[in-house]
Amino acid sequence: MSLTLYHGEPNGPSLTVLAALYESGREAELVAVDLAAGERHSRAPQARLVEMNIEGEGPVLVADGEPMADSVFLAQYLDESGNGTLQPDDAYARWEMEMWCRFIIERVAPAAALLGNRAHLTPKLQAMSDDDFEVLVGRIGSADLAARWRKERVGEYPEAQLEDSRIKIRQAVEKLEARLSGDWILGAFTIADLETYAWLAGMVALVPEAFAGAPKTSAWLARVKARPSVQRALAAARTNDPLKAWAPGPEINRWG
Amino acid sequence: MRNKVTLFHWEPNANSGKPMLALAEKGVAFESHYLDLLNFDQHKPDYLKINPQGTIPAMIHGDRVLTESTAIMEYADNEFEGPALMPADPKDRWRVRWWMKFMDQWLGPSFSMIGWSIFVGPSVRARDPKELEAAIERIPLPERRTAWRKAIYNLFSEEELAESTRRIGVGIGMLEEALAKNEWLGSDQYSLADVNGFNLGYALPMAQPALANDEKTPHIMEWLRKIYERPATKFIWAMGRAPRFADRVKFLEREPAA
Repeated sequence: MSLTLYHGEPNGPSLTVLAALYESGREAELVAVDLAAGERHSRAPQARLVEMNIEGEGPVLVADGEPMADSVFLAQYLDESGNGTLQPDDAYARWEMEMWCRFIIERVAPAAALLGNRAHLTPKLQAMSDDDFEVLVGRIGSADLAARWRKERVGEYPEAQLEDSRIKIRQAVEKLEARLSGDWILGAFTIADLETYAWLAGMVALVPEAFAGAPKTSAWLARVKARPSVQRALAAARTNDPLKAWAPGPEINRWG
Repeated sequence: MRNKVTLFHWEPNANSGKPMLALAEKGVAFESHYLDLLNFDQHKPDYLKINPQGTIPAMIHGDRVLTESTAIMEYADNEFEGPALMPADPKDRWRVRWWMKFMDQWLGPSFSMIGWSIFVGPSVRARDPKELEAAIERIPLPERRTAWRKAIYNLFSEEELAESTRRIGVGIGMLEEALAKNEWLGSDQYSLADVNGFNLGYALPMAQPALANDEKTPHIMEWLRKIYERPATKFIWAMGRAPRFADRVKFLEREPAA
């Protein structure tokens, strides 16, 4: 079975999936694309479920001709078609992993994406000509994702929303600090560690106060980073600092 | 009892219906605790002791407390004997998960916003304002407080209702396309995505007759009818108490052959 992974810089969803690939023992051809330049919509194979994927900009994995997206579900796919080491067998532990990943995806990722994009994507988009930006947005099939690109280009957020995002990062670190008792979040290393690391690593520079009194979290960040799979994923970087690579992510909950 | 299953739920629709239907498909008996969402039963102290977030459904299995409807379904499928409700093929599993997230986080909230603006809000709005305000204050999650406040005081903006309406139209088109490709949603096996989709969409032909009907969306119509006819679905729908819901699902009865 042939696999091709179109990935962005190793941060956020691309980091999760690259590292999951190396954990899974599966082999894939790698194609680097610039997610911040909208290349998911021009250089990666197109498919309805990829275009409408609500995670926003992330990697595309093509398995036997079918393009697939969503970092957690791609990690689960790689694990389940690979050596099966990234998910607990026990049903309750599996439920805990799903709940943890949903917390990251629904509460933390939209906040991190807002802060990361504001710091690192908005300046790039503002430097583009209007014509070039319209070409980029014109290729996006999901109207709400296109709207998020436009918002990032303007880059103006009320202070209350910025503070709400910083609060969500602080709460995530508090939750992580309270949960960590051994090396990994759920005991054994799972997709929850990868997904959490992928969204939080770039927040250390942007919300430093969240990590200030959190020694267990800091040690965990270093442990995840030191894993061979994560090291290999980070080696796929084409820029000096992949933690500064951001592109429009999931939307902030519009309904409770 | 160590292995007893207790489920806290509302009507067998939307989020409550998901674990009810999944458990019935697995053949797992459960003790039913009906909570009336419109009476704010889910924010009362007895229930908050079980689920401090005050969301329904919740399930107790032995000494484990589980919340979040889709995650409960996945737990039930992994934990209990009975027919598998996830396909075995990894790519099929990816599609099933994709659809569940899309419905839970993108399409479902749009249905929910419209449903709350035309049904839930008006159903409770006439009550004593002080009582309502106190009820809102008791809601543990700030996001849910906002949602209830919007529904009760009809604070939805034109823009967000229009966006929800747009999403419902897009979602119906995508479901029809997917069900034309596979017999079931995302795979050729009845799965959690179908259970999830039925709970989200069973009332579509009645609520959105211009968008979902036998001419425009024949695959959606057949899919809903097939799920409606399953013994587990019949069994669970018999547990409903509010006639409004039972009337809506009966719309899926097939016309008797002439």
